[in-house]
Amino acid sequence: MKMIEADALTVKYGDLYAVDDVSFNVAEQEIFGIVGPNGAGKTSTVECIEGLRRAHSGRVRVVGLDPWRERRALYGVIGAQLQDTAYQDRVRVGELCKLFSSLYRNPASYVELLEIMQLGDRRRALVSTLSGGQRQRLSIVLALLPNPRVVFLDELTTGLDPRARHQMWDLMLQLRERGLTIVLVSHYMDEVEAVCDRVAIMDGGRILVDGSVGDVVGRFDLLTEISFYAGLMQPGELAGLAGVQSVERQRNRIIVRGRSDEAVGAVLQYLGQNSVAYSGLVVKQPGLEEVFLELAGYRLSEASSTAAGERGR
Amino acid sequence: MDLRIALKLTVLEGKLFLRNYINVFFLLLFPSLILLLFGGMFGNEPAAIFGGYGTVDVSVPAYAGMIISVTGLMCLPLTLSEYREKKILKRFRATPLSPHYVIIAQIGVNLLMTVVGMLLLFITARIVFDLHFMGDFLPVVAVFLFSTLSIFSLGFLIAAVAPNMMAATAIAYLVYFPMLFLTGATIPIEMMPETMQKIAAVLPVTHVVKAMKAVWLGESIASVSNSLLLLAGITVVCFFLSFKLFRWE
Repeated sequence: MKMIEADALTVKYGDLYAVDDVSFNVAEQEIFGIVGPNGAGKTSTVECIEGLRRAHSGRVRVVGLDPWRERRALYGVIGAQLQDTAYQDRVRVGELCKLFSSLYRNPASYVELLEIMQLGDRRRALVSTLSGGQRQRLSIVLALLPNPRVVFLDELTTGLDPRARHQMWDLMLQLRERGLTIVLVSHYMDEVEAVCDRVAIMDGGRILVDGSVGDVVGRFDLLTEISFYAGLMQPGELAGLAGVQSVERQRNRIIVRGRSDEAVGAVLQYLGQNSVAYSGLVVKQPGLEEVFLELAGYRLSEASSTAAGERGR
Repeated sequence: MDLRIALKLTVLEGKLFLRNYINVFFLLLFPSLILLLFGGMFGNEPAAIFGGYGTVDVSVPAYAGMIISVTGLMCLPLTLSEYREKKILKRFRATPLSPHYVIIAQIGVNLLMTVVGMLLLFITARIVFDLHFMGDFLPVVAVFLFSTLSIFSLGFLIAAVAPNMMAATAIAYLVYFPMLFLTGATIPIEMMPETMQKIAAVLPVTHVVKAMKAVWLGESIASVSNSLLLLAGITVVCFFLSFKLFRWE
């Protein structure tokens, strides 16, 4: 079942297309990631789906509802964590939860949610005294109060320390297990790789590429990097091996780039058969980060050759 | 409108208001302290400069201007612009609650606190200086509430035109201090030279002070109709502009 359908969504600020003809679907219990640089149109896209922003054109449905026209019904089925929202000074965690609970007809128990989010002992605490991670978990508690079917998380982990980020990733996966559909807006490719089933990479208001993480990476002809220490070896020895595209030496380290499995197999076989003394061998598979950089580079060269300045940015 | 939610929000916002010590001081303590200062210096004996009335008897209604200015020109606009800047208003938009409730709650809390501030001043004056009340209850309450509405409209306008908290704070202070010191709301206008009294005449709080004093001392509402009409005009214009200019984010 499709929880979110966006079809040819466009958002304009004055003459600027912040979101330009964006289409995608999100299935039930999917974690869908939207990534891209600042100003790519991620938040504008999500805000249209959350009913916070009116689309210039296009069609959006969330659990079958029109987010702009049926806002009241919408906020009974979705939960939103907005990008860098703060709360009132001097409000206590429990007070905020109680207030938000009173806004919904059949709210989830905030006591339970606080417990799940490991904030059970912070009910009397002032929100302003919470750590960054705790505050984000509180935002999730508030987003989960309506017993939503879809949750939107906009830059949930920006500014959190690594431990808190990993905690958030585990949480997202747990929420999905409970039947939730999640839309995650992020800057971080590792985050998207860790939790998302599908991803859309946005820039300049458009979706450049979307699909499952594996698909997206596979669609680009990216090379695997094999590197190891082998002080006595000449790089040229490996040049002719199957799948190998380039070999270079950086000080004591040999770096081989080539087609993933073929090149790895060939290099390992060569090293074994010729009893080469090597150590610290690392195989780096291309990921979203590489895709993203490839796309960014692609756009840059495109922009300079086609005299930029049309619609978009 | 859902009264239950409006009430809950108002109660919570009221608690938050009272947890802000600066609010509590300037609204609930400062007016009484100033009264103790001036009352201590001049007592409450009939004085020629006040047309034969006692210093305290004229000061208490005048200080209504001081109290209304704190809530209307400081608390209200600064809270609203803070809530906008921190995206609290936006967060409420992503719930079934209309963010209008936040504004309703803010009006409720600030109105209530204005009344409480006035009552505290009244009690202090009564206990310490044997305050006299020469007017009728209803006109005084009516003029007080009308004045509050009028100054609140100015506060809304500040919240509407200020693009961020910094600007709101700057504008609020720029408006608040003249209203506090040049209008008779703190220092009796009778003590000011004529030129300053003329300048004061263009400040809305001057007319709040004038109208409050008049009805407090037993004059009719009609006797200050000019001041009240001016305040009414300000209210209409400010609310109209606020509705036009206010942005939720």
